[in-house]
Amino acid sequence: MIQKTPVIRIALTHLLAKKRQTIVAMLGVTFGIAIFIFQAGLMSGFQAYFIDETVNTTANIRIYNEAEKNRKSILAKRDTASSKWIVVQNQKPKDELNKVKNGYQIIAALEKDSRVSGVSPFLGSQAIFKVGIAQIAGRVSGVDIIKENILFDVSKNMRQGDITKLQTIPNGIILGDGLADLLGAKMHDNISITSPLGVTLEMKIVGINHSGLTEVDKSRAYINIRNAQKLLKVDGSYITDINIKLKDFNQAEELAKFYHQKFGFKTVDWKEANASVFSVFKIQNMVTYLIIASILIVSGFGIFNILMMIIYEKMPDIAILKAIGYKDSDIKKIFLTESLIIGVLGGLLGLIIGFLMQKIAGSIRMDIKGFVSMEYLRFNTSPAFYLFAYIFGLVATSIAGYIPARKAAKMDAIDIIRSK
Amino acid sequence: MGNIIETKNLSKSFHDPVEFQALKNINVSIKQGEFAAIVGSSGSGKSTLLYVLSTLDTDYTGHIFFDGDDLSLKSKNDLAEIRNEKIGFVFQFHYLLPEFTVLENVCLPALKLAKYSEAEIRERAYQKLDLLGLRDQALKKANKLSGGQQQRVAIARALINDPKIIFGDEPTGNLDSKNSENVFEIFKELKEKYNQSIVVVTHDMSFAERTDRIITLSDGEVVSQ
Repeated sequence: MIQKTPVIRIALTHLLAKKRQTIVAMLGVTFGIAIFIFQAGLMSGFQAYFIDETVNTTANIRIYNEAEKNRKSILAKRDTASSKWIVVQNQKPKDELNKVKNGYQIIAALEKDSRVSGVSPFLGSQAIFKVGIAQIAGRVSGVDIIKENILFDVSKNMRQGDITKLQTIPNGIILGDGLADLLGAKMHDNISITSPLGVTLEMKIVGINHSGLTEVDKSRAYINIRNAQKLLKVDGSYITDINIKLKDFNQAEELAKFYHQKFGFKTVDWKEANASVFSVFKIQNMVTYLIIASILIVSGFGIFNILMMIIYEKMPDIAILKAIGYKDSDIKKIFLTESLIIGVLGGLLGLIIGFLMQKIAGSIRMDIKGFVSMEYLRFNTSPAFYLFAYIFGLVATSIAGYIPARKAAKMDAIDIIRSK
Repeated sequence: MGNIIETKNLSKSFHDPVEFQALKNINVSIKQGEFAAIVGSSGSGKSTLLYVLSTLDTDYTGHIFFDGDDLSLKSKNDLAEIRNEKIGFVFQFHYLLPEFTVLENVCLPALKLAKYSEAEIRERAYQKLDLLGLRDQALKKANKLSGGQQQRVAIARALINDPKIIFGDEPTGNLDSKNSENVFEIFKELKEKYNQSIVVVTHDMSFAERTDRIITLSDGEVVSQ
């Protein structure tokens, strides 16, 4: 009947005396947390999925050669010391090849590196795909499909066909599913590809691939690297890129620098290559968390409001408790306890509702085709995320409760008794 | 010998809205077991003196010695502990927590003190309620009682920790003559049977005249004691 801690007992009595307002304040927190779970869960779930897909489709590190566009004129190179004005007008870029020299030796060296789990040579070119009168401009990726598979798990994303056919059938090609749709091409159809140099090859579709990144699937086709070399009229050692997969992709940034120094070619890591996307994420997260913070501030006002109401109504209680020896800190505890009760219960309900919202929204088939293509919405459902949301809510409610609690603790018992 | 409270040059001023000296150089002492009444016209400073003596008001100059301790040296928390353990209050209004039972209200100061176990506290609360003839009301909600009963519950609450002194601020102010008489008899019995020190502020002269001692205040000064 009587509890050892009258503080909790008094707090509960106050809340029960104002059931409706308490429930409204609680639902404010519930709503805030549920939106947090749903909105931030959707955002971070989507981003995790996107990063997953990009890590799977972008090399951890890419080594490539870039033709020098702004080269100095030969005259300027010769007369470095003098202060003469040298003007060479209408200078064209040199007809230089974007070749990674000694590419296969570099690959062999990288394959011995213990931090590397896969290396794949690459020769890319623009191409026009033609099936009958349908024409689409896209890109062909000349690869060693077995090595490419180690890096990007191509076989997992095959809708039809088999990646090994690219090795066994000399003129095999694997189309992105979007590209195949645009061309109206199906498995085993013949297709012709034309390079910017005017070379045309007749190919046979041996597979349809779906990477999940819509833009890529609409424009890319895999062919054997030998065929790519034929399209570009170059020799068998010619490659433009070396893609590297690391055992730990978080090392990409530092290793990219290291390989740049070691081999002398340009390197780019996956984060740098997708920098624009990550900056979009940053803004997205900022907006999401701002919305959530403002919802929680509103629910904070709800708590603030009800506590102030209780305090003004219960001023005589506060006065007598102080008179009979309860300390200011005890009074503060009473009202902090009230806000915590609202926060804890409202928050728990919010977690449950947020979870249900995730489950319901996650079970509706969406077939989103945009930035990435997904059949269902993906949510972050990790316990750590739920815990974070809950703690966030509790912090917000304690701040909202602290201000009235401090006010109550500071009230002067005599002022209250005198005014009675 | 045996002074429970002693003041030395106790003064107090209000600054708001205008400078006003409410207590002027007060030197009084209350003996252990004394039943004293503070009287005076309204505005004479009698309630102010009671609040200062009972540690609720700390904004004063001079010294108050309570049970030998100089109160001006104590922190707010120390004073709260002193009030809890050594002082009982009975106000004009009963100040019972309306949602709590009579028994729970009486137990509140003891639960804070936490000197006894919960069972013992309850047992002691019943003893105090017996003393005031309220045992049968123990489990009723405080707001279900009559005004006279509520004031007696407030007295039981003041007694629960066996205080050194009880302060009453117009304890009969809201009561009819029968209940006032009742409260007076209780105070008198407490003084006579248990040697309880009691200081009561009142404007009821018939009440004051029957106490051991009358301290009369006028314009913040003690004019007779």
